[in-house]
Amino acid sequence: MAGLAPVVLDNGTGSAKMGFAGNSDPSFVLPSCIATRGGNAASSSRAPAVPNKPSSLGSGGHLASKRGIDDLDFFIGHEALEHSKTYSVNYPIRHGQIEDWDQMERYWEQCIFKYLRCEPEDHDFLLTEPPLNAPENREATAEIMFESFNVKGLYIAVQAVLALAASWSSAKVTDRTLTGTVIDSGDGVTHVIPVAEGYVIGSAIRHIPIAGRDISSFVQQLLRERGETGIPPEDSLRVAEKIKEDYSYVCGDMVKEFGKYDKDPSKFFALYEGLDTRTGKAYKVDVGYERFLAPEIFFNPEIASSDFLTPLPDVVDQVIQNSPIDVRRGLYNNIVLSGGSTMFDHFGRRLQRDLKHIVDTRIQTSEALSGGLMRSTGVNVNVVTHKKQRYAVWFGGSLLASTPEFHGYCHSKADYDEVGPSLVRRFAIFGSATN
Amino acid sequence: MSNTLRPYLACVRSTLTAALTLESFPSQVAERHNVAEIEAQSTPEVLLTPLLISRNSSEQVLIEPSINSVRLSIRIKQADDIERILAHKFTRFLMMRAEAFVVLRRVPVKGYDISFLVTNRNVEEMMKHKLVDFVIEFMEAVDKEISEAKLSLNARARIVAESFLSSFA
Amino acid sequence: MLALEPANRIINDLLTEKFIKPSSLDQAFVDFDSVRYHLSTPTKKTQLLLSMDIPCWGELVQYGALEVIQREYGQFVTETEQDYAVSLLIDTETVPEAGEARTALITSFSLLKRNALAAPFERAFARQKELEAKGPPGENEVVEKEQLMGVHYRPEEAIYLLPSPDRVTIIFSTIFKEETDRIFGRVFLQEFVDARRRPSCQTAPQVLYSNREPPLEIRHLQGLADGENVGYVTFVLFPRHFSSAETAFSTITQIQLFRDYLHYHIKCSKAYMHSRMRQRVAQFLKVLNRAKPEPAGEKERKTASGRSFVRS
Repeated sequence: MAGLAPVVLDNGTGSAKMGFAGNSDPSFVLPSCIATRGGNAASSSRAPAVPNKPSSLGSGGHLASKRGIDDLDFFIGHEALEHSKTYSVNYPIRHGQIEDWDQMERYWEQCIFKYLRCEPEDHDFLLTEPPLNAPENREATAEIMFESFNVKGLYIAVQAVLALAASWSSAKVTDRTLTGTVIDSGDGVTHVIPVAEGYVIGSAIRHIPIAGRDISSFVQQLLRERGETGIPPEDSLRVAEKIKEDYSYVCGDMVKEFGKYDKDPSKFFALYEGLDTRTGKAYKVDVGYERFLAPEIFFNPEIASSDFLTPLPDVVDQVIQNSPIDVRRGLYNNIVLSGGSTMFDHFGRRLQRDLKHIVDTRIQTSEALSGGLMRSTGVNVNVVTHKKQRYAVWFGGSLLASTPEFHGYCHSKADYDEVGPSLVRRFAIFGSATN
Repeated sequence: MSNTLRPYLACVRSTLTAALTLESFPSQVAERHNVAEIEAQSTPEVLLTPLLISRNSSEQVLIEPSINSVRLSIRIKQADDIERILAHKFTRFLMMRAEAFVVLRRVPVKGYDISFLVTNRNVEEMMKHKLVDFVIEFMEAVDKEISEAKLSLNARARIVAESFLSSFA
Repeated sequence: MLALEPANRIINDLLTEKFIKPSSLDQAFVDFDSVRYHLSTPTKKTQLLLSMDIPCWGELVQYGALEVIQREYGQFVTETEQDYAVSLLIDTETVPEAGEARTALITSFSLLKRNALAAPFERAFARQKELEAKGPPGENEVVEKEQLMGVHYRPEEAIYLLPSPDRVTIIFSTIFKEETDRIFGRVFLQEFVDARRRPSCQTAPQVLYSNREPPLEIRHLQGLADGENVGYVTFVLFPRHFSSAETAFSTITQIQLFRDYLHYHIKCSKAYMHSRMRQRVAQFLKVLNRAKPEPAGEKERKTASGRSFVRS
């Protein structure tokens, strides 16, 4: 069955992207949540159970009562949220890592059979994992994929590497390299990940506790402080998200931008019109400074948070300086954005400008310190933005999986049966023009 | 607990307790090595006679003692294809997680479904009688798990078939 | 989710979205039984081209799939896209207003695979009615052997349909590639056979299952796979299962999904076994950890009075 497209599944903390290789967009983007009946059955595996008498081991109530098909009574994604009143909703992935394997396995069940409607026996699967994922987690994933679903082939790729691959679609990128710095900013956390020739430099990874959710709540806070009373309280976060997504952009200079707004408010202030979800009444919200302040918290974190104060360009610079010296040039030269929170207008340009400034200052200092004896040839700083940024990881997966050689790099079911789960500890890196 | 199971388990318990009389024993073959002699099989004089406890032909326990380690292998009851596949899946699943079960062997001894290896180090670090308890409980629970899993598989199949067929007018 | 949905969700979602807001699109996706779909806007945003390929299309055409497609999608059928079996062209400007009519239209598109595969079933049902009307053959009349319709919907598996005067026999040849699947599958199939005894399934079609041995109806065929993992499931549909148009419709939908339903549940059972085993492992670990003495000092005292060591 060579003709069937591989399945690409990108399970993130906030949402799962799934679809078939070769497409430019995932077929489904669902919240990574699962609604199950009776939360105690699911959580009992984690809750400290009352110590049993030795003989009663196994006759534990839930095991016996689960005889039936209760485990099929669940929903995932948007449907899970709709059923949140009668079911208990859980997020099986935390901080990018799968925490609850039972729920994840069932999540995949519906991904495959309800949404994608494919027979796993006939398809290769490309799954993604966060950087620094434990090999045990890979093995557990492989165990589920091969033993429960009998997938034909499996490839587990690191998200950052796929994000790099996705940047090949940008017109600016000329050589298909797998070396670069990935800034992956989703809903929960932002990672800065250096990748050299397809391998993540684990020791240099940095996390920034500012991401989509923080921006939304910052906008929400700004609106509240300004006294936008028209917003119904239960909608306020949703409105903040909407404003963030539809109106925000990154400015060049915060002070100048304030000046521009004050001089000519009518030109810059926008108006958001919404409908109260409960009463159905229309209301209006003025959108002002938050248009440029929202993404500004990446560059000036002190305006929103008091415990994390390093601006994003500094973090990127530190990450690259922590990487081996021979790859730093490549890392500066190819900084790739991925994830929804990097979608702001001019985000890439601002980052490039600030980072270039840091790098140039350093070069000048060292030239000055050498007493004018050394001349630097300069370092290229290049931030790549492209259209597929929002689902960059998925798109990179789709790109790689649609190449004809992909199948050869998958581990097949036969290999798994032969070797066992430890098979997936290694995957060959492929797709780059340099290897 | 059926009446043949009790003496069977009692026998395993007392044999294992007796066999767990272990002491540190440096290897006679390689200098400054201290290996589980029962695995190395390199010094015949420290190996003791293996003991086979058998409830019936399909349920047996092999206990192989030595001076510093004991190997215990269990053959799990498998009455039919379903039980065979369930037992196989279950033991494989456990052995995948052998890292967490300190005394579990990653591969069973040939002819058995699952094996444990207890060394003198384990006995020093853990309470011996509890370790024996664990093995006994394990043996009890495995049988129960497999028969329960089989029942639930049948129950599922029944519901699934019924729901498919009842939707025909 | 106990039963699988007959409709394709991607088609459903994409069409719903594009009917509201047309934009360019190019998506290739699949459905059960190696069906490939391609939904694109080759010329302009409002012209959606939906193409489908199904491996057994040649056979389906013999059994009247073209007529069925023509009947269901008449005005939409268009020139077939290369590499695909059938194409429909949908103009978003002419679809009905949002509401029931539009939903119905979208549903009908997402049932494209079901409808294509329905052709042999419809033909078999019609043939059965003919045979029934003709009455039993006379003494000396030579009974012509009824044509057996085979649909090789997967590389190694097929559906055979045989109409006869009082029933329609549908035989699925199944193959289980994996040992666990085979054993689980057999448990499930056995329950399908037995289910009819239960009151809720009295009216259900009769199900027969044979392992390895092909049923009489298809025994004369050449090239049937042989082996331990081959099985044959026979459904005997009686006229009441397709007496009216609606029941025929739901019967066809249901029986088409039989294989996918079976495999879906085999997989779910394995997932369920996994979750049981995970719980078991957690329990075993708990027991084993009891063997580890608690760290000396304060904890030790707690052990003496703590209930974790109370046991019979």
